[in-house]
Amino acid sequence: MTTNGAFVQVRNVSKSFLDVGQDREEIAVIQSVSMALGEGEFVVYLGPSGCGKTTLMRIVGGLETASAGEVLLAGRPVTGPDRRKGMVFQAYTSFPWLTVLENIRFGTKYRDDIGAAEKAEIARHYLELVGLKDFADFYVNRISGGMRQRVAIARTLAAGPEILLMDEPFGALDAQTRDFLQEQLLEICRLERKAVIFVTHDVEEAVFLADRIFMFSARPARIIEEIKVTERLGPERVADTKASQDFFQLRNHVRDLMRDQSRSLA
Amino acid sequence: MGREGGQEGSQEGARDAEPSRAGDQASLRRALAPLFRYRGKSSGRADLVLGILAFAGFLGLWYLIAFFEVVPQRFLPLPQEVLAALWRMLTERNFLDDIGISVARVWAAFLLSAAMAIPIGIWMSSYRIVGTTIEPIVDFIRYLPVPALVPLLIIWFGIGEASKIAVLWMGTFFQLVLLIADDAKRIPREFIEIGYTLGAKPRQITRDIVLRAMFPSMVDNLRITLGWCWTWIIVAEIVAANSGIGHAIWSMRRFLKTPEVMAGILTVGIIGLLTDQAIRAWHRRHFRYL
Repeated sequence: MTTNGAFVQVRNVSKSFLDVGQDREEIAVIQSVSMALGEGEFVVYLGPSGCGKTTLMRIVGGLETASAGEVLLAGRPVTGPDRRKGMVFQAYTSFPWLTVLENIRFGTKYRDDIGAAEKAEIARHYLELVGLKDFADFYVNRISGGMRQRVAIARTLAAGPEILLMDEPFGALDAQTRDFLQEQLLEICRLERKAVIFVTHDVEEAVFLADRIFMFSARPARIIEEIKVTERLGPERVADTKASQDFFQLRNHVRDLMRDQSRSLA
Repeated sequence: MGREGGQEGSQEGARDAEPSRAGDQASLRRALAPLFRYRGKSSGRADLVLGILAFAGFLGLWYLIAFFEVVPQRFLPLPQEVLAALWRMLTERNFLDDIGISVARVWAAFLLSAAMAIPIGIWMSSYRIVGTTIEPIVDFIRYLPVPALVPLLIIWFGIGEASKIAVLWMGTFFQLVLLIADDAKRIPREFIEIGYTLGAKPRQITRDIVLRAMFPSMVDNLRITLGWCWTWIIVAEIVAANSGIGHAIWSMRRFLKTPEVMAGILTVGIIGLLTDQAIRAWHRRHFRYL
């Protein structure tokens, strides 16, 4: 894929900040990263903890500014956060004072492109899409962590974003819940055809979800390899995919890359 | 999930609080055990019974000390004498008017404080320029002892209602504004960022997310601040007033009417306790999601 004309373009983005220590030296977090993302494509940023991959995703989302370089979304430079770039965090961000359905409806609150009736309809639609119809009137403190993340995803989708930015959204969940939500997320992405940037340090999760993986180095983050997962595994992913020989080989390859990077930190 | 575990625990606690009708010792022991366990789960019924018992014990001790004149009754009258004094004050000395005036002063000053502290506190947490400008001033004034300000406030505002309101306002506003700013700051950063990525503007984030998220802890802080108002109102009324509970206590002292003085003090305690419990009940009802 060429960088020009792609849906999301990250061009030579660097980020550094001033250390709080005595010397107040500049610390580079991201070093001249370029990448592009097509419409409906699922991209994973994979790298060791604290490498700067989350910071890069936040720059794409407009929540942080790059020290150098720029990000274009559908041809327009990203200058700040807005409704076009939806976020899902690892921490539970569903609002405790609202029920499940009210949380999802909150996602439509600031849309001026649709009327009240349509907002209610959209909230209902995403409530059912994430499978929480039976929990519509529960306060979110009364449901499980996996369900809370589904509420957060549904709320973000209800805002009608052009791209979904997910920062280790399943990081705090147990293995079974995580497997289930990964499959459900792929199903949702297939139906919604949204571009996704998904940040994780879990190799298996990355290989299972991604069309392409961008493997980042330890800090300062550079892209050390782009892994075209869909070319190897095909677009279809089901629970059994994880048991296939191709998946196994690709996962081992990525794990070795990851191990090299993590070792440089330890 | 820890939270689910907690719920289960409290249900267990509720069951513990209702021993079977047979009233066998085992179930009683199970009901009481959490009270002695380190950070044990609370159970509404046991807590209430214990609270009432503590009050009864306090009264009993008071009664015994006064009855056997461990302290002369001139200084520590019997509980029933204090109750009789309260009745005399209510029926013969228009004490009810004094209570009404004090309550009105407390609420007027408290509402004024809250109405100013809530927006300013949130504003302080929203923009560094506001927070860093106001905070040092607030911190300084906050440490000025309020009783020391009373003479100055009387010079400025006279001995009318304005000076009482000013004393209470001085004693609460500067504390409250910092508490409110802290409440607002404690909101997870992700809540604000979610607001932005759903398309909200700062005003909308403040109204729809910040205010809602901080609401329960804000109500708690308002409740505590209302309690302080009762301290300052008595100070203000003792120094310069010809009405109110503080004035009534002070004038009874001149005739060494200990039962009446104690009745006045107890009145403040009872009003405080009732208001506090009423706000707590409101809190439980409106923040059921917590």
